[in-house]
Amino acid sequence: MDALTNVLVSGLLLGGIYALVSVGLNLIFGVVRIVNFAQGELIMVAMYATYFCFTVFGLHPYVAVFLVMPAMFLFGVVMQRLLLEPLRGEPLMQIFATFGLLMLLQNVVLALTRGEGMSLNLGDSASVITLLGIKASSARVVIFAASALIVGTLTLFLQFTLAGKAVRAVIQDQDAARLMGINVERTFLLVVGVGAALAGVAGSLLAPIYTLSPYIGANFIMPAFAVVVLGGLGSVTGAYIGGIAVGLVEALAGYYIDPALKQAIWFAIFIAVLVIRPSGLMGKAGAEEIGLSDHH
Amino acid sequence: MRKSYLTVALLVAGLFTLSSTQAQEPIRIGDISPFTGPLAQPASEFAAGHELAADVINARGGVLGRKVVVIRGDAGNPQQGISAVEKLVNQDKVDLFMGTYGSALANAASDAALRYNKFYWETASLAQELTERGLPNFARGGPNAAIYAESSVKSALEVIAPKLGKKADQLKVWIEHEESVYGTSIAQMQKKLFETAGVKVVGVGAHNFRAIDLNDAILRARGATPDIWVLTGYVPDSTLLLRTMRDQGYVPPAILMLGTGDGREFQQALGGFMDGIFVVNYPHEDVVPRFAPGAAAFMEAYRKKYGREPSSPYLVLVGYTSTMILFDVIASAGGTDVDKMRAAVAAIDKPPYTYANGYGAKFDAKMQNTRAFTNLTQWQKGRSVTVYPNEMAAPGVVLVNIPRK
Repeated sequence: MDALTNVLVSGLLLGGIYALVSVGLNLIFGVVRIVNFAQGELIMVAMYATYFCFTVFGLHPYVAVFLVMPAMFLFGVVMQRLLLEPLRGEPLMQIFATFGLLMLLQNVVLALTRGEGMSLNLGDSASVITLLGIKASSARVVIFAASALIVGTLTLFLQFTLAGKAVRAVIQDQDAARLMGINVERTFLLVVGVGAALAGVAGSLLAPIYTLSPYIGANFIMPAFAVVVLGGLGSVTGAYIGGIAVGLVEALAGYYIDPALKQAIWFAIFIAVLVIRPSGLMGKAGAEEIGLSDHH
Repeated sequence: MRKSYLTVALLVAGLFTLSSTQAQEPIRIGDISPFTGPLAQPASEFAAGHELAADVINARGGVLGRKVVVIRGDAGNPQQGISAVEKLVNQDKVDLFMGTYGSALANAASDAALRYNKFYWETASLAQELTERGLPNFARGGPNAAIYAESSVKSALEVIAPKLGKKADQLKVWIEHEESVYGTSIAQMQKKLFETAGVKVVGVGAHNFRAIDLNDAILRARGATPDIWVLTGYVPDSTLLLRTMRDQGYVPPAILMLGTGDGREFQQALGGFMDGIFVVNYPHEDVVPRFAPGAAAFMEAYRKKYGREPSSPYLVLVGYTSTMILFDVIASAGGTDVDKMRAAVAAIDKPPYTYANGYGAKFDAKMQNTRAFTNLTQWQKGRSVTVYPNEMAAPGVVLVNIPRK
């Protein structure tokens, strides 16, 4: 019984990580209708930026996040304006462009750091919380809380603010939104900026947990794709529920079946969802045709 | 009339230049490794060792009077390895190859090198298969996976078990490994060796080195209550496993890591938690000079060339050592012809402790250096200290934190 509780807690916390990483990807996916292959690298860059703030300025990651987040927002806006916007109407080229950005970011960071594995060490003492007799890394608990907070805030934003309603309109139908007087280009800038800012938050909060490498982005983004498909394209709460679900499945499969198979298991779920219900648990039907329809 | 004199003069000058160039034609070596990509850092450390060896030998007048030039060929996978070989042969006119951080890559590249009739000198990759396949142009100057596995089991039985007050048949080990052929092959060898010695292997766990959560691996091991937790992996998974262990409050009586765990990044990631952790790996530069005659001088040369400490000095050192063995082989072969080099490899006999990190040179029929070895180090107060074999450890070295607290 104790093992089961341990596994469930660990699965929930892992789900929090997946949810945090997936929200930004899902938002960009759902609104701009492109797969941002560089999302993992945005997280990676944010991790290094956080490391830099820590080692050079002595800023704790939970403080540095307030610098990293707006910086990443700007990066996202620039990425949309200079890289993606000029390729509008050519979704495949946009995807290739994000892939190119992925390689650029990886290699720039490799060149700057020589690929050495760097780690933030916040010290042993503050790192563990005990909940219900189960030990949990406090960094992961913070991530769990943060992802819930972010999803909650985003949902409120999308539901109750004018800009949020504009975003939802664009998710539903770009052309109709334009006809309603919504500035679709400005919405894209906002959304990609927010998506990148969310990657920034993820990077700052994840930095204390992992040894950084220029290639660590891929490790997060692979499960994020499964989460986004499971939860439903364009649905923020879907990404959250999908993340928690994938985290729990992975933790249970890893402990009770075989740690070597756990990734195969959520890939199997990924494929099954694509076949049975392509729009995911909570996605808007039609959102699955990413950019391959005539919507402009 | 003047034109023809000029032509003759030019021809004669040209002939002279040609002949003197022939005599000074450098030995070009293609160095194939994943210099970009996730393995860039260790790959570059090995290459730095190769290039430092080239610097040192050139300062002494080169090999057979010829300067040595090392040309890097970046290859992230076997296919790129083949392309790199082709480019280095056709464009850079290399005489032979060396490498390679990654056994699959070494396999493909050395195969390609054979088609061009070039020798391939391995300094890094560990897979048994590389020498077992009996390729006529392939020799390995450093240790292989079996040497690693044997050394780790020996360390467990002769160093760690006595400190835990356990005999072999009372000992329980958990073998954790990364799931590619690297970790799996070593884990399989370790399991066999442990069981032959009467040790109980309470579990074998495989994990993906890119995993972002390894809680299950720790929970499973904890449930099996091993005396020694043994790990073969890479940096990202090893640091994550150790952090998870720390966060979960799981304290196995002893931790033994193989192939990774003694680098600076571990100290940075885990600080004092590392104290007491044992690592089996290439000899470190702190080995007493009698058994590592060039190590101190080599460290100086590195600092001078790069202006910083190497982050994994033992990797650079073994790359350097292995390359110096290669130069001796070329010298005795009188050149880089494959058959002559094969003969030179078979004939070379340098006693243990000849080279900078303590290696000797004596190759078996499959061209594996039998005088390459690994040592056991332990983290003590933030430093990686050689503890075994005893004679190689600095005087006064004792073991700490065992059983772990």
